[in-house]
Amino acid sequence: MLRLRGLVPGVALGLLLIDLVGMIVLSAVRPQFLSDYNLFVTGRDLSILLLVALAQMIVLSLGQMNLSIGSIGGLVAIIESGLMVRFGVPVPVALVAGLLLGIACGVVNGLLVYWTKINSFVLTLGTSYVFAGINLGITHATPFYHIPNEVSSFGQARFGPIPFMAAVTIVLTLLLAGFLYQVVLGRQLLAVGGNSVAARLSGLPIRRATLTAHAISGFLAAVAGTMLMAQLGQGQPTIGATWVLPSFAGPIIGGAALSGGSAPVLGTVLAMVLISLIDDGLVLVSADPFWVEFLIGALILGAVVLGRTHLGDVRVFLRISTARPVGSIR
Amino acid sequence: MSAEPNPRTLEVRLEVSGIRKQFPGVVALDNVSFRLRAGEIHALLGENGAGKSTLIKILTGVYQPDEGEIRLDGTPVRFASPRAALAAGISVVHQERNLIPQFTVAENILLERIPTRGVQLVDHAAINRLARPWMDMVGVEAAPATPVAELSVAQMQLVEIAKALSLQAHILLMDEPTAAITPHEVGYLFRILGELRRRNVAIVFVSHKLEEVFELCDRVTVLRDGRNAASDVEMATINRDRLVTYMIGRAEVIAKLPPKPPAGEAVLEVAGLTTKGGDGALSLVLRRGEVLGLYGLVGAGRSNLAKTLVGEIKATGGEVRVRGAVTHIASFREALEKYRFGYVSEDRKEEGLILLHSVRANTSITIWRRLRLLGQWIARSIEDAAILPSLRELDVRSHSLSQSVGTLSGGNQQKVSIAKWLAAKADILIIDEPTVGIDIKTKNALHELIWDLAAKGKSILLISSDMPEVIRLSDRILVMRNHAIVGELPNDHQYDEMSEAIMARLS
Repeated sequence: MLRLRGLVPGVALGLLLIDLVGMIVLSAVRPQFLSDYNLFVTGRDLSILLLVALAQMIVLSLGQMNLSIGSIGGLVAIIESGLMVRFGVPVPVALVAGLLLGIACGVVNGLLVYWTKINSFVLTLGTSYVFAGINLGITHATPFYHIPNEVSSFGQARFGPIPFMAAVTIVLTLLLAGFLYQVVLGRQLLAVGGNSVAARLSGLPIRRATLTAHAISGFLAAVAGTMLMAQLGQGQPTIGATWVLPSFAGPIIGGAALSGGSAPVLGTVLAMVLISLIDDGLVLVSADPFWVEFLIGALILGAVVLGRTHLGDVRVFLRISTARPVGSIR
Repeated sequence: MSAEPNPRTLEVRLEVSGIRKQFPGVVALDNVSFRLRAGEIHALLGENGAGKSTLIKILTGVYQPDEGEIRLDGTPVRFASPRAALAAGISVVHQERNLIPQFTVAENILLERIPTRGVQLVDHAAINRLARPWMDMVGVEAAPATPVAELSVAQMQLVEIAKALSLQAHILLMDEPTAAITPHEVGYLFRILGELRRRNVAIVFVSHKLEEVFELCDRVTVLRDGRNAASDVEMATINRDRLVTYMIGRAEVIAKLPPKPPAGEAVLEVAGLTTKGGDGALSLVLRRGEVLGLYGLVGAGRSNLAKTLVGEIKATGGEVRVRGAVTHIASFREALEKYRFGYVSEDRKEEGLILLHSVRANTSITIWRRLRLLGQWIARSIEDAAILPSLRELDVRSHSLSQSVGTLSGGNQQKVSIAKWLAAKADILIIDEPTVGIDIKTKNALHELIWDLAAKGKSILLISSDMPEVIRLSDRILVMRNHAIVGELPNDHQYDEMSEAIMARLS
């Protein structure tokens, strides 16, 4: 029996229920969960990590991986802050240069994967060290302090409980979903991920799809790095160093198939919300923060095991019938 | 193989009764019985989805039955795992090889019992020495130290049989063993199976090819829709028509294909085409509105030719004219977009379809670029409107356009892989083995569809190793052997004469 994880809304539905229950329980147990400041801080972390997860998701949808997301985010952040702080480059120019650099890093990954046909895990492990190495070579591990105020204030800006950053993430998420499901290149990308031979034998451009996925991944990593820089108010060389695990956790819990062909944008969003809730909840109940990773690990294992069984589909769990009569398409 | 006295006992070894197996939403087997004797070859027949594989998986411990009893030599048994079945002497030779390609023949045969010396060092000499007798018994023509990857499909199969025998198997399940081997190799395999029968091994033989079943088997059990349609019938007492009736539930009606307009002008002319893959100079002409059959065995170079025509394999010489103009098809996209070729791969699951994706996406994949609106956007309503006529023309049956193609039946999957080329308005269709693994009912329907497409003016190059199919469906037949076209025959659709004429070209 084929499991259609990622395309089945059941996974997203289940995550939505868990998220809602989590929020209700958390706000009942710890009313300060609903405080503007708590929501702002949580929402800001979520805004950044969701982009990181989507950067991984789009490469996973191609049936590949990108281990260099964190290194790209870090490199972009220090290049942007370096340009602004050391060379006095105007903010917009520096930011555009940084985002273009992120795209370029992604294209490098894509070209390497396409040309060499070597497994993307191995290649991006290599480029990850390269990008991180450039970062360290430039900074000698020293941050670029005092980035321009308009950037760092954006990192603190909020509208009530909603961080300004969330707007960036929401727009990018919607654009990505539209791109993947309704735009020619996005659907080609999913088709290549689903079965690259069949895609080629249907006349699809494999190279363009591969490069696009990696370029988008690099771009999203660059945006995430820029936002974390703005939040921290400085170009920290360590930006992105901890992103690898959450980047996989989101799409995998959200229902992505590692073999490619599925791009569960909604599932990834809901999974990252869940991870943020766990993160925040443990802080609010003053739990040992070092146990957060343990819980996320347990969650990934749970999601994968559930995904392999029918329990992963909430509709089966709730005994909602999904069978429909057979008939021709008319 | 010595000529010792015949030890066949025909004692009942394995008896299965009242087996029921249910999966979510479907009863795969319902009250199925099956009896297997030592020293017999027992055919297990049925259409796709009739329950053959499920029964085999129950016999080999992959599945456990929900109800019913398995008796081995009279004792009730329950196989908790494939290992348990193996230990009881039941081995299966699968369609998909269960060998490790990088390991040698001998290592594969002795995989679970690698002999060691000293502190767990692998004793290579002993492996090769111990494997040799089993290899000789079934006639594996390779050194024990040869990596399995270097063997032909037929030889791999023999290695699997050797492995089963070395495990003291006295019950051998052969799952479509002849699907991918040449007639010569089939002959050899049958001699080996005959020899094993003489040695009192009980053999279950699963095949779609009824001619083989009549040639080889002693008894037959037929499944239909998860039930026994015929149980333990002697082959000598049954004929082909009766067998087909058991399989499909009614007599087989092969309707005569309606007349179709005569073929028009040449749309594809190939002269002296050569490739790096070793094709000799190939020449052919395909006309508008005709079905040109290309018959040859697996490995004769048919698929290679097809892939060269669509630009997937580079041609090294020769001339290709499409609609009169000399062309150099450089890539698949060019073949598709510029020359309106369509290519239906012989391997629809690996090369034709994206199983995880919807019927919609699999059909419209060829025309996304044409459907895009401003800003590359595809509107679903336009997309559906573009593909529905093709899906209707081929009578694709699915719940909805969003149903994933992997959940459709084989016949419907094949229709989708043709529909995407109709949607793309391809008019030179290269269709490779359209009915492999597709049951008799659907096969006839697909034949009629292909014929109908030609009648409507499509030009079809039909590649097939299924002789009845080629003879039924082609206007002309090209015979291919060893990467060369060895004959062109006008087809009068008379099976006996045509098959003789084709075989004459092949030998």
